[in-house]
Amino acid sequence: MKKIILSLLTMSALFATEHVVDQKNKTFLPGTMKVKVGDTITFKNSDPFSHNAYTDDEDNEFDVGMQATGTETHMKVKKEGEFHIECAIHPNMLIKVKAEK
Amino acid sequence: MKIIFLVLIATLLFSSQEKEYSPEYELGKKLYSDTCAACHGDKGIPNRELKLAVRPRNLNKTILLPEQIHKIIKNGAREYGAHSDIMPAFKYLYDDKTIQAITTYVYKEYANQTKSRINKALKESDSLSKDEQKEMLVIGKKIFDKTCAKCHGETGNADSLYVKGSKLDENFIYPYNLTKIRLNEDQIFLFAKFGSYFWGSDKSDMPAWNKKYSDKELKSVAKFIQESIKKN
Repeated sequence: MKKIILSLLTMSALFATEHVVDQKNKTFLPGTMKVKVGDTITFKNSDPFSHNAYTDDEDNEFDVGMQATGTETHMKVKKEGEFHIECAIHPNMLIKVKAEK
Repeated sequence: MKIIFLVLIATLLFSSQEKEYSPEYELGKKLYSDTCAACHGDKGIPNRELKLAVRPRNLNKTILLPEQIHKIIKNGAREYGAHSDIMPAFKYLYDDKTIQAITTYVYKEYANQTKSRINKALKESDSLSKDEQKEMLVIGKKIFDKTCAKCHGETGNADSLYVKGSKLDENFIYPYNLTKIRLNEDQIFLFAKFGSYFWGSDKSDMPAWNKKYSDKELKSVAKFIQESIKKN
């Protein structure tokens, strides 16, 4: 049984996709995303100043804190649904995410 | 009808002559031209040719009132929270009377809409009930910690992870040290609501938060900054 579960977890990890979001000119690129549960979203910061990425969505709650210029941070999609990702210091930055099973 | 027309003409002529011949105004006009216009422009609109990280303010859109303008000219912007001396202290060059002449000229010529702009913006903002006012400091602190502190630092002194994680070259715009600002609570609210661009900055260095937070929330932040962060 354990082996089956481990195999399933390995399989799902193999099929998980990494989606890259760049933060440039105070904009998230892309601004809309379709992802699957288990996928990873990687945030790059190409601006010369710090950024942040967070969501208030209870099922996928995360906050990368203050992200320095030139660094990467990651979040894993935990549950299906639609939610927004924002930057706490640049209120016009927004990603609309649709997460499916 | 003719009499009314003549009286109107006379009034207009008299008022414009008074403006032109006020010695304080004339002195301020000359000093503005000699000292301030290089950065703030001939008509209070900053010279776009200047390649400065922090652009001089458009004086026609300032949120500052005469006594605040006087203090900024006298002591420079760093004294009130700016990171740089790009707006220097003129107290080493001019005495109080001379600085007042510049203040009078700037306010009459460029910033005379400030009070009405502030009042209009306040009038168009939501007001809080007595019950809501009681919880302002709690709400204000929560938003300050979640949002403002990221750039301005946990204590408001601009020592933040935002600054530490950024490329601190000549283009970097440092957040203001909120412990030193001289804006009153209403002005802080309006600055947070509409951002620095609305109030004369050439860059949107301080964003407008009116899409993210309600008037009630932003007034709460202003109250928290006024009562718990400011030291001036």
